Amino acid sequence: MALNASTISDNELFFGHKACAGCGGSLAVRAALKVLGPHAIAALPAGCMSAVGFNFPQLSFANNAMITPFAATAAVLTGIEAGLRAQGKKPDDCTVVGFAGDGGTADIGLQALSGAIDRNDDVLYICYDNEAYMNTGIQKSSLTPFGAKTTTTPAGQHAHGCLTNKKNLFQIVAAHDITYAATASVGYLPDFVRKVERARDIHGTRFIHVMAPCPTGWGCAVDETVDIARDIVDTGLWYLAEFEGSAISGVCGGKFTLNRNPQTFASVEAYLKRQGRFRALDECEIAEIEAARDAAWEVMRASWC
Amino acid sequence: MKQFLSGDEAFAEGVRLARPQVISAYPITPQTVVVERLSEMVESGQLNAEYVHVESEHSALSCAIGASATGARTFTATSSQGLLYMAECLTYAAGGRFPIVMMNANRATALPWNIYGDQRDSLALLDHGWIQAYAKNNQEALDMALMAYALAEDARVMTPVMVNLDGFALTHTYETVDVPEQAQADAFLPPYEPAANSFNFEHPVNIGYSAGPEYNKYFKYWEHRDMLAAPTVIEEIETHFAQIFGRRYTGMLETAHTDDAEVVLVTLGSIAGLAESVLEQLREEGIRAGLVRIRYMRPFPKDELAHVLMRTKAIGVLEKDISFGGEGTVFTNVNSALLQAGISVPTCNFIGGLGGDDISVDDLCDIYRALVRMANQQSAGEHVRFIGIDNVGGHE
Amino acid sequence: MIEVLWHGRGGQGAFTAARLLGAAASLNEGKYALAFPSFGPERRGAPMCAFTKMDDAPLGDRSAIKQADFVVYLDETLLGADWDKELKPGGVVLINSTKPSAAFGDKRIIALDADGISTEHLGRPIPNTVFLGALCAFCDRLEPIDVHAAIRLYMAPKLHDKNIAVVDAACALANQAANAFGEVGTQDNAEALGATEPAITAAPTQSVSAPSSHTPRPQSVICTLQTGELDPQQFAHTTCFSAGHLVTKNAGWRNERPVIDAGACTGCYQCYFYCPDGAIYKVPAQGTTTDAQSHAALRAPVAVDLDFCKGCGVCVSVCKFNALAMIQESEANGA
Repeated sequence: MALNASTISDNELFFGHKACAGCGGSLAVRAALKVLGPHAIAALPAGCMSAVGFNFPQLSFANNAMITPFAATAAVLTGIEAGLRAQGKKPDDCTVVGFAGDGGTADIGLQALSGAIDRNDDVLYICYDNEAYMNTGIQKSSLTPFGAKTTTTPAGQHAHGCLTNKKNLFQIVAAHDITYAATASVGYLPDFVRKVERARDIHGTRFIHVMAPCPTGWGCAVDETVDIARDIVDTGLWYLAEFEGSAISGVCGGKFTLNRNPQTFASVEAYLKRQGRFRALDECEIAEIEAARDAAWEVMRASWC
Repeated sequence: MKQFLSGDEAFAEGVRLARPQVISAYPITPQTVVVERLSEMVESGQLNAEYVHVESEHSALSCAIGASATGARTFTATSSQGLLYMAECLTYAAGGRFPIVMMNANRATALPWNIYGDQRDSLALLDHGWIQAYAKNNQEALDMALMAYALAEDARVMTPVMVNLDGFALTHTYETVDVPEQAQADAFLPPYEPAANSFNFEHPVNIGYSAGPEYNKYFKYWEHRDMLAAPTVIEEIETHFAQIFGRRYTGMLETAHTDDAEVVLVTLGSIAGLAESVLEQLREEGIRAGLVRIRYMRPFPKDELAHVLMRTKAIGVLEKDISFGGEGTVFTNVNSALLQAGISVPTCNFIGGLGGDDISVDDLCDIYRALVRMANQQSAGEHVRFIGIDNVGGHE
Repeated sequence: MIEVLWHGRGGQGAFTAARLLGAAASLNEGKYALAFPSFGPERRGAPMCAFTKMDDAPLGDRSAIKQADFVVYLDETLLGADWDKELKPGGVVLINSTKPSAAFGDKRIIALDADGISTEHLGRPIPNTVFLGALCAFCDRLEPIDVHAAIRLYMAPKLHDKNIAVVDAACALANQAANAFGEVGTQDNAEALGATEPAITAAPTQSVSAPSSHTPRPQSVICTLQTGELDPQQFAHTTCFSAGHLVTKNAGWRNERPVIDAGACTGCYQCYFYCPDGAIYKVPAQGTTTDAQSHAALRAPVAVDLDFCKGCGVCVSVCKFNALAMIQESEANGA
């Protein structure tokens, strides 16, 4: 059954946490756990969601949950799943789920994630992407987009923020022929919820990369989180897609699907200008960002539709 | 059943008998044989365990932590750089009080690269909250595998245990080992039933959280205090072990001729076997020599050491380790125990066996003669002496 | 030693002010200062503290200030019932408020419209540097010229002139208040001010308890507030504890709250769906109608859990029917 605002569970399994007001990451965790239910076991590495969620004696997960070493989200998920299975005590409705940020996934945690996908461990890995190391106060990660100002990619006279492009994590994951992977955004929550629901019901390794704005790090108002998370999709700077590995699609190497293919894009310039982190970008750089977007969409439209 | 096994193989047999439910495996010389043998046991059906091919040592221990958090009995093994790579996870497993058992094949740490045995790896990580045991031979290695689970999982201790085997000297050296029957092992080691440290679907828990300045000290205090319960528990376990298997171990220390010894050498690991063999010769020469082998470096047996060293006139510490710019780590610990016990005799640190270097009978005799000289002169002279480089005997 | 305790919310610049103050107070030969924030897991919007200590000798004590000569509130909603316990005898509270000082009912509380002053010069309400100017008026140790220098040394160049103007404006205003007040930090002054009398508690402008019209959440699995002593003998042997064990609310984070227009609400639940904190919940369907409920015929199908709402306003932004609006906490309590 497709879940929506009316039908989704009343359970609040991530509640009472100390995340910033308007935190996109906490919305992703909350919504995912509503779908997965109280028998989900969650593992989170060092990062915003664990820092704001597990401060003894203030413990903000109502389900079984633990913090993992920073690099080890996927390895701990593997251990949890193996431990339950070895003891024959894994309920049918138990999803072993990880929630890690962009740095915890695409940088320090990438090796362990690759290992888990390689083993096709029966775990769900959700990367909430706020495009920098927010827990330590906004430093560049490999998922920080070109042009974004962070405290380690300052916008000055010589550089206007991050000089590298966002790592293509979704395709790195897909290249493993993972059972199932998807991208999402907290701005399009029904789409994210549907993907979590789908992932819940598949066995094998599943991965969801969900865009989760951080007002503190992005330099926008705290009530803009959801709107900006829609805007990033509408501008084509992020995309909603799914990958079904050969195991479930029957297609050699797997199959990509573009879930949303807008005829026209919303203004990139407007999207960038509403965020403090992009304030220094000039016209040329904005044009570069648009050109990169168009090139990426050309490929996606040609082969993912 | 008697079998001719290497230390790695013997340890794998011990692990098999302990029936771990999750094994996370990553190769590194000279540990690799352990995870190879375990994979064969799982493949053949001798051992019913989830065998996880992790992609690094960091993930090996992380996976074990995750599995232990579900209440599963877990095993992993490593060595040297691998142990250092998982160092972060050592404090994690210890602070989380996950009763994981890990074998470490003692090996030199880079640079320079060296795959041979010394104890720098585990001693560098002495302070990471694990109980550390050091085996003397392959039989003790196998038996320690079983006893380590009993110790780690005891509700009074609830602390992970690292069992150390000298690289090559034990891991790759074959000798006769009595491999117990599974029924005996089962009688000794019941299934792990986590008391208060695992996920629970009826009463969910949060695990591995943060604790700020107000609460942190309590967790650290009990991490320390509960490890101090280990000596008592080890004694109980060894008594139980002797009842079932007929082999009696000696707790935190093993001693030889310490009752009337004037000079005593304190050491750990397999070199103790050689040191024992020179005692008789020395006694024929009129040297009242004794030997102490430390079986557990954590918790540190300071009271036990003080007790056996009370009447000595000079004490040497032989270790395959150097804490650069300081002295051998074991030496520091032993001196602290002596100081606290009010034992004031000359002490000297002998550093040998680095990177697999040989320690010979002549070296050991030299060491004992140096101790006699120190006892007579009531002075240690040079406190830290490298075997094969320095004037170990302290000859004029 | 003069100690200044700063209360603010994460993101308001309390620590920046504490740091600038320390810098200003230690510019000259023989003057020393320390400045540090409270380090905690809480995030932007959460109440936090910062500390400045100033002395004529190097400071060795790096622990948090328990009682201060000056306690500064960058946000008046943070003034709690126990505010006077943080004040040394003769100490002064400086608070950001549009109300007159007299409204606080205690001579030790001096109100300044820091939002207004900063908006006038900076274009936005950034109240922190206002209090640097105010402290110049109250504290002999501090001169505007030193604060100017600290701003030039430690703020971005484009901020210098505007913030210096803020400091000067605040100093001028505060001088009037300070002259009326007398000298800070003396026992005489404390007595003159009636500090030894029972303190008249400033009404906390924000209620942390549930409103009287509280409707219960639907039955669900949720983290819940617990009370009771925690015994280290019991809890400290492992890092494993009951899931969802809460001991604090988040209500103190907020200076605005959402209110629901039941007439406009269509029950689409988007506000509930998108709330990052799970602070909006569905009101369970009615069984039998009580008097109270029939009286409030237009009860909204959702309610706000004011114990945990952080006031982000995402609910308002996702409501397509204009059925939600943010109002000031002070208005809500006044109502």
